[in-house]
Amino acid sequence: MVRSLLGIFLAVLLLCGAAVFETRYVDAQFSAFGGEIESLAQKVEGERAEPSDAEAVRRSWETRKSSLHVWIPHNDISRVDDILAEAAGLIAEENFPLAAAKLEVLRSICRTVPGTYRPLLENIF
Amino acid sequence: MTLVIIRTAIIFFTLLLLMRLMGKRQIGEMQPFELVITLLIAELICIPMADTSIPLLYGVVSVVTIFILHGLVMLADLKLKPLKSLISGKPSLVINKNGIDDYQLKKNNLDVTDLIGSLRAAGYFSLDGVNYALYESNGTFSALPREDYEAAQDSLPLVIIDNGCFDEKNLAVAGLSRPFFEDVLRRQGVKTHKRVLVMTADGTGKIYLQIKGEKYRTFRVSYPGGRTW
Repeated sequence: MVRSLLGIFLAVLLLCGAAVFETRYVDAQFSAFGGEIESLAQKVEGERAEPSDAEAVRRSWETRKSSLHVWIPHNDISRVDDILAEAAGLIAEENFPLAAAKLEVLRSICRTVPGTYRPLLENIF
Repeated sequence: MTLVIIRTAIIFFTLLLLMRLMGKRQIGEMQPFELVITLLIAELICIPMADTSIPLLYGVVSVVTIFILHGLVMLADLKLKPLKSLISGKPSLVINKNGIDDYQLKKNNLDVTDLIGSLRAAGYFSLDGVNYALYESNGTFSALPREDYEAAQDSLPLVIIDNGCFDEKNLAVAGLSRPFFEDVLRRQGVKTHKRVLVMTADGTGKIYLQIKGEKYRTFRVSYPGGRTW
């Protein structure tokens, strides 16, 4: 009986801790990445962006995604990979209007993806 | 391919640990909530095991959640008696000294044929061979035989009337006709076969008859042409 209660209590603690950590961690990661995308987008809008800027953002994303793989479906991560690669290619070609459009999509992903993992009614159902 | 193998191994060991913590009941006779848990675990495990786009953590978290729910329901089942019948159900006494309790059968979505099948599986071939019979809350069937139940079982009884309807197949097996049994019923004071809950006949001429809402009765008849089986 005591062992059962202890087991349940520890499992609840573990799950709650993991849930809180996941929400905060995913929020923080996408918030920081969103900031980097914002800076790159401003340079693209001013037509000042260099391929090295895009490459720096990609390297930062590569570091983040290796830990994000544990917490969120890999399809979400793949989506960011694809769009970021397209944006980097367009910046290298100095096609700034299209690159800006791609970066706008990434801004939207950074705003919406963390929200899809919060315990909200629309997410539960 | 390697990914699926490694993920499957991790899930397998997690599941094994949780099953050991849950105890032998999970692999023995199950209460309804235990069956739900067993089915759920199988479903929850399959998806992250085979789909590498889903984090393995999702499968582990689901199973740990099931473990917590199982623990809470088990505690409620053991400690809170009013909740016990809600969670696990209650045994249903389907045969008593008056015969078959049709209300209990219907409550459990069973009929006389199911009951007779359960009796046979338990080793009792006559409805009057047992004093009491129950369906337990985990679905198993148990019966208390009469002291002389072996003497009561000397031929295979066939169901002739089941809930007001003649069983044509068994009539053909017995080689007897509807008019014969309608005459038997009239002599017992039963005007129509539709009032009969169950009527069985064995090869020696023993009839078990229970009218709806009444106690059962047994009596002997002689079959035409000296028929037996």
